[in-house]
Formats: sequence, structure tokens, C-alpha cells
Amino acid sequence: MGVRDSGEVTGTPDPVERGLATINTITLGVKAMVQKDGELRKAEILSIRERKGGLSFYVHYVDFNKRLDEWVPAARIDLTQEVEWPRPEKADKKKSAATTKAPSKNVQKQQRADSREVSGTPDAFGSKNQNIARASRPSKAGGKENRDTPDISMIGSEAVSTVGTPKMMDSEDLEMTDAPLKDEVKTASGELITREEEIERLRTGGSMTQNPTEVHRVRNLTKLQMGKHDIEPWYFSPYPDSFSDVDLVYIDEFCLSYFDNYRAFERHRAKCTMVHPPGNEIYRDENISFFEVDGRRQRTWCRNLCLLSKLFLDHKTLYYDVDPFLFYCMCTRDDTGCHLVGYFSKEKDSAEGYNLACITTFPQFQRAGYGRLLIAMSYELSKREGKLGSPEKPLSDLGLLSYRRYWRETLVELLAEPNREAMSENELALLTSMTEKDIHETLLVNNMLRYHKGNWIIVLTDQVLDEHNKRLEKEKIKGSRRIDPVRLQWKPPVFTASSRTWNW
Amino acid sequence: MTRYGGLGRTRPKKLTSKASIPIVREHEIDLIDDEIQSTLQQIETGVEKAEESEFHLQAAINAAAQGKDKDAHIPTREVIVSDIQYAKLYPPIFSQPATYIRFSSTVEDCCGCPYNMNEEDDAWLRNYNSKRDASSQCSEDDFEATMNFFEETAQAKQPFAAVDSPPVLSFADMAESMDAAVEESVKRFAKDIYEHWKARRLTTENLPLEPMLKFETGQDTDDSDPFVCFRRREVRQIRKTRGRDAQSAEKLRRLRKELEEARQLVALVRQREIARKEMLGMDRTLFTQRNEVKEMKRKLNIKDDDEDLINQKPKKKTIEMPPRQPNAPQLRMPLKPGLQGAEDLQLLEDVQSEKENEILRDIKANIAKHIKWNEGFVDHTRAPLSPSPERTFDAAAFRPAFTAQLPTPPSSQSSSNVLDTSLDVTSPLFSKDKLASRALELHDEPHRMPSFRRRVGRGGRLFIDRRNLVARCKVELDPFKADRFKYDQEDSDEEPTYDTDAYSIQIMQHRAITMAKAREQAAVAAQAHAQAQAQAAQQRRLQADQAGNAPGANPVPNGVTVSSEAS
Repeated sequence: MGVRDSGEVTGTPDPVERGLATINTITLGVKAMVQKDGELRKAEILSIRERKGGLSFYVHYVDFNKRLDEWVPAARIDLTQEVEWPRPEKADKKKSAATTKAPSKNVQKQQRADSREVSGTPDAFGSKNQNIARASRPSKAGGKENRDTPDISMIGSEAVSTVGTPKMMDSEDLEMTDAPLKDEVKTASGELITREEEIERLRTGGSMTQNPTEVHRVRNLTKLQMGKHDIEPWYFSPYPDSFSDVDLVYIDEFCLSYFDNYRAFERHRAKCTMVHPPGNEIYRDENISFFEVDGRRQRTWCRNLCLLSKLFLDHKTLYYDVDPFLFYCMCTRDDTGCHLVGYFSKEKDSAEGYNLACITTFPQFQRAGYGRLLIAMSYELSKREGKLGSPEKPLSDLGLLSYRRYWRETLVELLAEPNREAMSENELALLTSMTEKDIHETLLVNNMLRYHKGNWIIVLTDQVLDEHNKRLEKEKIKGSRRIDPVRLQWKPPVFTASSRTWNW
Repeated sequence: MTRYGGLGRTRPKKLTSKASIPIVREHEIDLIDDEIQSTLQQIETGVEKAEESEFHLQAAINAAAQGKDKDAHIPTREVIVSDIQYAKLYPPIFSQPATYIRFSSTVEDCCGCPYNMNEEDDAWLRNYNSKRDASSQCSEDDFEATMNFFEETAQAKQPFAAVDSPPVLSFADMAESMDAAVEESVKRFAKDIYEHWKARRLTTENLPLEPMLKFETGQDTDDSDPFVCFRRREVRQIRKTRGRDAQSAEKLRRLRKELEEARQLVALVRQREIARKEMLGMDRTLFTQRNEVKEMKRKLNIKDDDEDLINQKPKKKTIEMPPRQPNAPQLRMPLKPGLQGAEDLQLLEDVQSEKENEILRDIKANIAKHIKWNEGFVDHTRAPLSPSPERTFDAAAFRPAFTAQLPTPPSSQSSSNVLDTSLDVTSPLFSKDKLASRALELHDEPHRMPSFRRRVGRGGRLFIDRRNLVARCKVELDPFKADRFKYDQEDSDEEPTYDTDAYSIQIMQHRAITMAKAREQAAVAAQAHAQAQAQAAQQRRLQADQAGNAPGANPVPNGVTVSSEAS
């Protein structure tokens, strides 16, 4: 509990203050060197809790993805080196606009992609803090399923610990008095704090743990039991807050209901009759099936699915309900049922021409080529619709890699067809349902589009051809993993104007 | 920013999406050119800016750029095989249908009772059952159903429990909600399980026992609470257009009308019911009064057939039969009472004649209508439907022009011809129609005879009106020409003037005929000669008929040109 006495660091004018620390003086926001896989990495302390007699620290490794954040015992922190104390708020303002960060207050708020450069709607703090002004509420009606704007949870680690403007503190103080204190504090730091301590913490102002929005910087579920696997979640997901306290959360593989208690889960399994996603099968081959599930008709199931996938998708937002989305769920089959392997969601009516909103292959099935099939299906649907499409941004790191690979392979496959001598980007787009922009960028990224002797040419590099041939060989041996358009029984669903306005 | 190889610093041609780009293999081009070319070009990754620089992502991108996809791996968290008894939890009950699955049940439909008991419930239930004999044990399903009933009732009665934290619902309140829909088993155990439920609710501060997602509560804290999810969306604004406005206005109008109709329907039903009530009241008074009559009769010892006591039906008949009798035929065609007897046997000709009659009636009615329309006007069209206004004169005021000097109209054959054609010149077919002959019935027989009347006009002027001349004359005149001169003369307050061309061939012919006839009569002595003359005249007249527009012969012998006004 000695954690609190370091509040004096705030208010120091120096942007980065370094100094030696002890276990007891480490506060939230401190950056220290932490042992990770045999090497020391700079990491930021996001949460502190006392468990089993010792302090443990939730750390975010600088320049690592948030999914690698973890609880570490005090022993892993190298205190022989100096630590960086959290920056006071004045330094915060100097931050380049490029690393846009929303203040914690606005964590749930989003910004539309097109308003990224310009400051969005002025909000309460707009005059005080430039950064805040950029975060604006998402268009409520828009069907976005991803966050556009970085929220606190994904900001570069430097920014996080700071308090923001004094004005902000005030408003949060107010909020704190309204909010049920006990829950938030407990879930944030894993320890129970009395009211006095709470107030003290607020007074000294160094800690932001009380701020409810801080809560979701820390993963709330420890472990997940689903189907035949135990899975470690990657990110925060707004499951009931009591779930933060249990070691294992049980997920029913078919109806995706969640339980914090084995007995309840067992009872539920005895009653549950669902054996596949609750929608219509639109595709079936030897290995997989696709089901189309309407967010409006299957609200509970789709909510469950979103909660689950949020554990693995940083930029997914569950701010709004699932009504305007269709969920395309990929399953493998056996005699117990159709096991959900991954899914992608798609807006019923995308204003920006997205053909996919969120996509994930659940971790237990990753690195087996399923993601590629999901992407292929999303383009197959676009082909049926006669539209070009692109995934909604931002992409996650894994999403980017999967998409770039799919795009490259798809284009190379087309370009390498015998007797193809020339093609326009437009033709490629019509054949693949990829947008011309995606095609152009893919060609550039792979150094295939070059300016040669006064003319543009597409170069099939040895590298991509090599990869292409290897893929063909592998398919010969293992059988092809592709979406066969003939097996797709699907017509683009039509929604009436009233159902598209999402009025209940 | 970007440097392109090949042509040094010259700006490369713009590449449009429609431009066909040649595809080449790497070995087909000059490598030296390409060495300069670098992929410095900034391409948006679509990844969050703050994450682009992440260590593993950069490593993976670089590996992919070098074609080493295998190395392009981003570390994720651990997944291990679970030690739960999968086979027990997930029984093999799935058999794949031959066709693609179509399914619309929801999670709620598939999960049975939503309450799932936990270890705490288990312990309580075991303890509870151990104190009871086998016949009155509470099963797990019953227990869950009961708990679920409590949970649902609490939710229904205290919907804002999350906000205003009311006390735990009492058992009395619970019992209140137990209606017929609640299962017997639930009712049986409710009292016992309630205490357990209440104890558990107290530990959760009266929040639902099953962990719940946080939804909007309408409080300010909602917005910043990361646990609040799945908010309702606001309705998307629909673009307003004039068309849409009109459409919705139309919809509203229709809705208004339909509602109005429904309202009227209800009002009418109400009226009917009020009438029915009145009728019942009448029946009642009738009954009581009859009762009185009965009593009276008994008292006075009157013995008759008690007809006045028998209820409505026979009574009605006796009362209603007489008026019905005369009424009945009225429903039929009143025009042919002769058919009354042959009611059973309908003859074809009856039907036909009936139809004919109908048509005739129609025609008459139409003509009458026309006359009415044209009252005060003269129909100058070629074939006026409405008869000329002279017909409306009071026939009685006219005196038939029987004079010794005047010859009777020529004999039947020609005269009937003349009449027919005179009425409808333009369509001789119609005149042949027997319907037309019926229509003629409108004109009374005596009117065929030329007739006159004398009257005194303004300023003591004497008028002589003639009948049965004008019609023919009118026909003779060319309507167009007549129209031309219509306003040439001074207006007359009296009847309109009909101008005719005294030198038109038709009229001259007509004059000739009449002259010839006069001569014929005059020269009785010279029979043969007269006959020849008559024949000639006849021929000429026939010719005139064929000429089409002229009725030719006028039976009126005096051959006067037609100006109906004689001043």
C-alpha cells in the first residue's frame, strides 16, 4: 500500500524525469525495464495489485502489441536501472499530433476517419486540450464496428500515465462521486481500497486507477475455456465486471454464452440444444460451412459473439448494438456440431463501401489458413453483389498481414495466368472485387508496379512467382483450401428502408 | 518524396486505373534500371499509426517483403488444450442434413431455463432434499424454474433495480405474480426456495444473480464506463425530399381516412346496439302488458284463441301479410301487370319484351331529359336529339287546319315515308328501326295534322302560329347557313326566326309538288293529264329523297315558305 506516496512527481516541469525507484515507489505510469523472454524491455506500469503476499504489476511493453501486456511479479522489474517517471500534463501538450491520443475521458468515443486531420466536434474540453478536441463521438447511426481513433488503450506508452488538464481532473472527480466506487477500483487494481484511501488517491492525483476508463487498459479476463481449449484473452472485453475476479471463464462453444462458474456452465450445457450458429448455412464444402447470422434477429448470439471476439480484437467497439451487421461465421463440422472457427461481420449497408467490418479467427484455430478463407469469402460475397469492397479500417497487425498476403496471392494468381500480356487495375478490380486502391497499393508494396523506360509495367518478380508456385504445389499435395463459388448459396440480402434505419 | 528510376527526374506518366499495363517477368527487364527504383513510397497500411511501429509488425512486414512469409509471425498469447471433459459437456448429437441448414431459433429458444444453478444452490438443494422423502423432492429443473421465476418477477417489478437499489422483493409480492401461467412445480417449492433466493440476492445487493452485461442506464456515467456496451443506435436521418414529403403526407391522409372509417363503423355498431336495446325494452313491455292482458282475461273469464298473447311470429305474419301483398308486385315491373299470372312460367318473349320496354323507357327518359336540358334553347345541330321547341306548345290552343280548300296530305305510302325521314334525316337506318317508330309516339297523333293558333302579342299585334310545319322546314335549312344569319336580324322577344333559302332546290321542289297537287285537285276533269303530272311530281320528289338531305314533299299544300312568325 505504499504505492501512493509518490504523488509528488506530478507537477514536475521536466518532461522525462529519470531516477531510481524502489518497489514501493513505483507508481502507475512509471516506465521501467522489465524482464521479457530473457531480455530486458522498457515497459510501462498500468496497474498494481497485491496478491499472494506480493505486489504484482501489469505492464505494457513499449513497442509491443497490447496483447502481450501481462502481470509480472516485482522480481522481474530491474530496479538497478533508472526508471522514467510519468510525465506531467504540460509535456503532454507537446506531443506531436501524429500520435493522436484521446484522453481517458473519451475512451469510448471515436472519430470518423475523414475527420482525422481536422479537429472534430468541439467538446467540453476542446479549449483546454488540443488532443481532446480531436476525439469526437462516432456518428451514432453509422454502422462502424471498428474504432477509428486510437483510444487510450492503444496509445504509445509514453502518453498514458499523464493526468490531462486540471480541468479534466475536476470533471472526473465529479464523476467519481457518482459512480459506484467499489467496483471500479477493485477491478482496476485487483485490490479493495477503502473510501479514505480512494479520496487520498484522488487528492494526490498521481494515479488514474480510479478512472473507470483506465479499467479497460487492463485485460479483464484471465483465461477462457471454450470448446476443447483454454485460451488466454488478448484484450479487454466488457463481460460482466464480476468476471474479472474469476480465474476461468467458460464459454459455450455453440451459443457462446458465458459463465464464471463451472457448475452453472455444466447445467447450461445439459439444457442447451444449439449445435451450430443460429442462422442459415450459405456455404458448405468438405471442411467448412459458413452461416449467415443477422444481428437484428439473433441479438443475443451476436452480442455473445462480439463480446468474445472483442477479447481478440483491440479496435473493435461494442459501443453500439449489433443490429446493422450480418455475421458470417465459419465452422468446422463433426458429430458434436458446427464449431465456430472464425467469423467476419459486414454492415448491411455500408456507406463507405466496406465489405467487411471485423474479422477474426479464434486463437485456437489460428495459423491454419482459416483467415485466408474468411477473407476470400468476404470477396466472394462482394462478387455476388457485383461490388468492389475493402475491409473497414483500422486493421490490426494480424489483419494487415493476412490481407496483404491475400491480396498479393490473388493478384499474382491472376497476373501469372498464361497468355496474360497486359491488364489494367480496373480489370483486376472487376475480377477480384478488390478496390482499385487496394490493388494499386498491393502492387506497389510488392514492388511489382514499376516505371520502366517511360512506361508503367507490372513486374512479376521472381519472389512472388516463387511463392505462387510453392503454393500451387502445396495445394496439389494437401488439396486446395479455397472458396468454391458454386457452393455458395447466397443472394445479397435486401433490407427495407425501415430496417436499415435501425429503428426498433 | 518518391524517386522513380529509369528516366531520372522526369515526372512519370500518370497511371489511370483503366490503363492497360503490360505484364512482364522480372528477367525480361533491365535490372540496372530497377536498382535505382526503391519502394520508398509511402503506402498506408491501414493500421493504427501508433501501432505501425510495433516491433513484431515491422519484423513481419520486412520478412514478407523478402518473401519469407514463414518468418512473418506475430506472437500471440497462449492456447492450450483444456482439461475439461469435452465429450461429457458436448454430446455427439449433430447429424448434418443433406441440404444447407436453415435455422432461426434464438439462443433463448435453445437454452431452456435461463437460470443455471451454481455450487451454492447445489449445496442448498442437497440439504433441502435430504430432509424430505423421495416423493416430494425438488428436482434441479424445478429448482431452476423457481429461481428463474423469482429473478424474472424481480426484474419485472423492479426494472430499475440497478439504479435505485430497492429492497429485495417480499414473498407476498412474489405470490401476487403467480398466475395460471406459472407451473405447478414452481408454486409448490416457491415458499421454501424463496428464503434461499432472498439470501443470495442480499449478498449481491439485490442485483440479478446471473452476471449481467451492463447496458445503458441513462446516467451520465454510461458514457465513460467501458463495461457499458451495445447501446441503442439512433435512427439514421433519412434525407428529406419533396417526394418523400408528399408520400408521407399521403400516408397520413390515408391513415386518417381509415381511422375515420373505423370510427364510423364503431359508431354505427353503437347505434345498432342502442336500437337493439330499445327493441329488447319494447319486447319486455310487450310481455308485461300481455301478462296483464292474460291476467285480465282470466279475471274476466274471456275465452278466445288467445291470439293477442301469442308471440311475435304469428302476429307479425298476420300484421304484415296484408301490406306485403300490394307491395310485392311493386318490386316487379309495374308496367306489365299482365304478366302477373304467368309468374311461374317465364316466356322468352316476355323477357324480350321486357327488355324492349326497358330500352324504350330509357329512350323516353333520355329524350325527356334532353328536352329539359334544352328548355329555352333551340337545338340547331344537324340531328337534334331533343325535339324542336314547338312540340312543347300547348296542343289544345291549336286548332287543326281542316279547311275545305286545303288538300289533305298525300296518301299513306309517301306520307309515312316522309314522316320517318323527316324526323331523322341523317341516319335513315335509325328511322327504319322499329324503336324509332316507337319514339315517335311521343308526338301525339293529332299533331301530324297542320294546325294553327292565333294570339295577340305586344302592342296588339296579331300572331298566327302554325304547327307541324316548322319541323320539316327546319330540317330543310342548312344548319350552317342558318347559323350564319342567326344574328343578322333584330332580336325578337318571341320565338326565334328560322331563315331558309327560298331558292334552295329542295324548297323549290317542294313548292312545285304542292303546286302540282293543287293543280291536280283543281283539274279533276282532265284525269289523265293530272295523273301524268302527279307521276312526274312523284318522281321528282323521290329524287329529292334520294338526294338525301331533303324530305321533299310537304303535305301541307299551301307551299308556304317557312317563317313561323307571321306578323
